[in-house]
Amino acid sequence: MNQGPESESHGHNTSTRAPELVHFSGTGAEYFGIWIVNLLLTIVSLGIYSAWAKVRRLQYFYRHTELAGSSFDFHGKPIKILLGRAIALVMLIAYNYTARIQSPWIVVVLAGIAVAMPWLLRNSLRFRLYNTSWRGVRFHFRGSVARAYRVFLLNGFLSIITVYVMAPFMHQRVKAYQHDNSWFGQTRCSFHARAGQFYKIYLVLLGAIVVFGIVVGFSGIGTAFIAISQAQKHGGHPNPIAVLKALGVLYGVLILMGISIGPLFHALITNLIWNNTRVGEHRIECNMSPIGLIWITFSNFVLVALTIGLFIPWAMVRVAKFQVEAVRLVPAGDLQEFVNTEPDKISAVGEETASAFDLDMSL
Amino acid sequence: MLTADYMDGRSTRVRVVRLEVAGENLVVSGEDFEVRVPFAEVKVDERLGRAARRLRFNDGAFCEVRDLPALDYLLSAQAHRDGWVDRMQRQSRSVLLAVIAFAVLAIAGYKWGMPWAAAKAAANMPAAISEQLSVQALRLLDDGKFFLPSGIATDRQQALSVEFHALHLPEGGNSTAELLFRRSPQLGANAFALPNGTIVVLDDLVTVIDDDGEILATLAHEEGHVHGHHGLQLLLQSSVAATFLALYIGDFSSLLAIAPATLLQATYSRDLEAQADDYAAAVLKLNGRSPTLLAEALKKLSVAHRQEGQAGYLSSHPATDERMRHLRAISGSLSTSRSER
Repeated sequence: MNQGPESESHGHNTSTRAPELVHFSGTGAEYFGIWIVNLLLTIVSLGIYSAWAKVRRLQYFYRHTELAGSSFDFHGKPIKILLGRAIALVMLIAYNYTARIQSPWIVVVLAGIAVAMPWLLRNSLRFRLYNTSWRGVRFHFRGSVARAYRVFLLNGFLSIITVYVMAPFMHQRVKAYQHDNSWFGQTRCSFHARAGQFYKIYLVLLGAIVVFGIVVGFSGIGTAFIAISQAQKHGGHPNPIAVLKALGVLYGVLILMGISIGPLFHALITNLIWNNTRVGEHRIECNMSPIGLIWITFSNFVLVALTIGLFIPWAMVRVAKFQVEAVRLVPAGDLQEFVNTEPDKISAVGEETASAFDLDMSL
Repeated sequence: MLTADYMDGRSTRVRVVRLEVAGENLVVSGEDFEVRVPFAEVKVDERLGRAARRLRFNDGAFCEVRDLPALDYLLSAQAHRDGWVDRMQRQSRSVLLAVIAFAVLAIAGYKWGMPWAAAKAAANMPAAISEQLSVQALRLLDDGKFFLPSGIATDRQQALSVEFHALHLPEGGNSTAELLFRRSPQLGANAFALPNGTIVVLDDLVTVIDDDGEILATLAHEEGHVHGHHGLQLLLQSSVAATFLALYIGDFSSLLAIAPATLLQATYSRDLEAQADDYAAAVLKLNGRSPTLLAEALKKLSVAHRQEGQAGYLSSHPATDERMRHLRAISGSLSTSRSER
């Protein structure tokens, strides 16, 4: 194991230490067995096994992620996840039912969800971090409930009434709340990205959407043009096959562009967030290539479609490996000196309800 | 000899240790310490691919072992038994069996299980819910100017309604379905059965078919949808299909989950259309009419839709030719059985 005395004797500039790479060693073939057994048992047990399946899935990915020769671990208890899922299901049914029949009770249901959500999101962060460990030392989330309400409710409200002009600002506040209140054992994490940096990336996103919109517009005109020119050639009637072909190519381009925008934004924003996060004095670097992520997303999409889903485990492993291995830790000192804290009890309810409503904040 | 990384659970300090078995105990020995733990108290993580496995001790300390074959050897001497899920996950035979079982379950569930469960649930849905769903749906369509007031004379409406309610149904009695007349330029010649049994007839259907017997045959078809609770069934099925696909696609991409769910629904309605056709045929026979009336009506509708380039009726009614053939076959068997008598 790398004891650090030599590098420390070399001097005062601690940032000269070699960065620690994150390595992911899972493979699609291995994960396939876990994935298909998870699916089968979930169906046979009418969904109950899904909580155990989730634990196995997370453990597979965490335990294959290594930093400085040691792997991460996930400690969540399936029974808590099951309870969380049950509560999420009740909320989802209440929402869906009242929305479908347009009952006036939907106001009550939505208000209830809005009031509960910040608390649930905070709990979800607590559960996820508390159950993550590296070398036996657990992560923690210590954000206050009051801040959760301010960040999620007030800022969410502001971003909606300003027609999302404040969305990047809101995003920055959420990430600051999340990372500034994260701890690794007794070592606090900190977040340094400013709202201006979020605005820059959102401008790139906006640009990509505008370009996409222009292409959509032009492709419509282009198809019409092809149809007309074909019609002139063939004496009045457009050749349906030629039109279909043109449409096929255009749809291909549109799908490609549509698929690209998400990964492009994700890569840029993830790099920004992690490059500005520190664990104590240790810096994190994240250098995810947007082109690489677009390629992986697109090829996964095609391969999953061609294999009626059987490629999914490989797709998940590819994405995980690509994302995880883009991250490096630049140690400012000895990585052996992190100290654990006393364990506290945390419920899974938050995490499950949050992901059921698709508000789960990816790390 | 088995080496491992020992962590005490209090800090990230890594100690390289040797693991050995001495009698009932596991001996963990490092450079400056030695721990003996009764093997019965050691919790061993299940295998997950080639990830390092942990031997956990009661005090929160653990050993991270990377040499998996050597660990297997050590465990085999301790009568340690892997969990059945663990074995199932990594033996190629059971994985293959799981794939087959999953495929069989998925196909059977899709083909029989889901329609069966949805039909059962739809038939037992409290009347208040289907009533509310139907009233809301109709109000949305009316308010959104998707449905316009009918241009068909009230006495014609009345006459059709009287004739329709005079039809005897196979299960006995007459239809209690309310007929509503509406006009819709977007949907053209069409008719719908709402979950509460109300049948909405669009003007173009009446003008395109223009034959009371054939219009009644179409209404009998819609009554078949009402009788089978098909509207609710479809609604339930599409929700279940969407949930299942979300589960299958999992965290990979929610984008992929949306498209197929809609596609699945289209093939479902084919079975339901056939059911409604058979029901209509039975109604027509019972009332001394020929099922070919419905075939004729379908023919006129498909011609009308082709001319106007409207998708409405046809997109949810995929194989019109097949259905007409089937109806003619039914009426053929009817006439032959009659002549034999």
